[in-house]
Amino acid sequence: MFRKHVIRQLSAYYHQEFSADEKLKIQAHLRTCSQCRTAYEEIRLGARLASVLQVSSAPESIWTDVPAKPKISRHWRWVGFAALATAAILVAVVVREDFYSGPSWEVTGLRGMSHLHVGETLETDTGSQAQIKIANIGRLVVRPDSRIRLLATQSSQHRIALDRGKIEAQTWSPPRLFVVDTPSASAIDLGCQYTLEVQEDGSSLLHVTLGLVALERDGPETIVPAGAFCRTRKGAGPGTPYFEDASTELQAAVTRIDSVNDPGERLQQLQIVIRESHVRDALTLWHLLPRMDAQARGMIYDRLAQLLPPPPEVTRDGILALNPKMLDAWKKVVSQLWQ
Amino acid sequence: MTNLIIDDRTLEACQRGDPEAYRLLFEAHKDRVYSIALCFFDGDEAAAKDITQEVFLKLMTFISQFQNRSEFSTWLHRIVTNACLDRKRALRRFLSLGEPHERTLPDRRMSQEDKYVQRETEASVRKVIAGMKPKLRIAILLKYFDDLSYDEMAAALGCSKGTVASRLNRAHRILARKLSHLRDAVAAGE
Repeated sequence: MFRKHVIRQLSAYYHQEFSADEKLKIQAHLRTCSQCRTAYEEIRLGARLASVLQVSSAPESIWTDVPAKPKISRHWRWVGFAALATAAILVAVVVREDFYSGPSWEVTGLRGMSHLHVGETLETDTGSQAQIKIANIGRLVVRPDSRIRLLATQSSQHRIALDRGKIEAQTWSPPRLFVVDTPSASAIDLGCQYTLEVQEDGSSLLHVTLGLVALERDGPETIVPAGAFCRTRKGAGPGTPYFEDASTELQAAVTRIDSVNDPGERLQQLQIVIRESHVRDALTLWHLLPRMDAQARGMIYDRLAQLLPPPPEVTRDGILALNPKMLDAWKKVVSQLWQ
Repeated sequence: MTNLIIDDRTLEACQRGDPEAYRLLFEAHKDRVYSIALCFFDGDEAAAKDITQEVFLKLMTFISQFQNRSEFSTWLHRIVTNACLDRKRALRRFLSLGEPHERTLPDRRMSQEDKYVQRETEASVRKVIAGMKPKLRIAILLKYFDDLSYDEMAAALGCSKGTVASRLNRAHRILARKLSHLRDAVAAGE
């Protein structure tokens, strides 16, 4: 039973955001705590009131007035031509400006640097940090003792290299527009907020606090959702992701699996992962499948199937053979953990 | 209200520039986007139209960037949120929102009396929501118009799941305290 009051959790409880275990704990607390019960009645009334909101029909004129849709009427075509001509002149002016200054990002907090241009390096010392506007798609904080280089900034992609140190990134763009290259992997933004730290030996640690990040290096993507960490090592690429609330034993075992080659020790560490794993650790188990040998894969399959049963089209043999379609089908089930 | 389901094939067709697919996408989302904006701006239909157009313009400009529905859905909610909050910030600099606007509710198969009670209750709820802080307002609208999970809301609002829970808690309690006299009306409607 929760000894502490559960008032802060009551909306989430009403909306069934908790696991069965957590729900039972809250129910038990509500039975014995009149203060929380009264608060719950209030939350429930508020939620019922909000539920009376009805969706309104959007006027049809919105569609006809959206200027960028692919099929446009003859009338709008002429308006479009005029707009295009104006835009062309504006683009010419902007391109001319860019020809002289080049595209750049605005920098604040760092003495002597107000803009970062493509090809330039930004370096902070132990006592400074910089805030950067990632074009119009996000923000970047470069922490002390770090070095980044701006590799590209275009409407199709914004890309930096993080050579060492730590950055905090927040974006609000469509996915895959912002990429950070580190010596050991590339972090591809899928709509998110995260920190990324590169050590002197080129290894890195990613911690996602919101949304998703994909890590990539010569192989399939590693997906790291909010609340998860993933290490990368130079020459080995992305490691296995794990949630921050996983047990310390599981975290240590995953790190060991990623860093040793001896099959016997990897199997021993895998047994710890399996023993320590709960539902949310399906993220780790799914990512371990292609990283382990067939014997170990069988053990992972059995545990993962207990935690999150695979869809009917997925078979044990198929997973042991790393059938891409079956891996993908199971990944869809696992990805419900963060969707 | 439209209940079209957009699948990955429709998204792919949009990415190829298929006008029919664009139309499907628009039909699937327009009412919810419009409703969120309409309620956020206290019934201001012109503002809601502008926001909806802005959202679909961005959507059509960036549609080629998405790899699946999940990415698309997160991003759609985020641009709706940003469009509402940005416009609200801009408005705050120049003018107050003024009197609430009249709006027409969709026709429902109810008795005249039920319709009246429903309309009055909803109008009261909208009025209280319109008086909330923008961050609480957008949280409750995303939840009740789009039925998002707390994770989806966190991604759209750019905050943690805990913050989503806290904002909804505050919004629910404000509604309950200001409209406690409507307890029976909502209980009867269940």
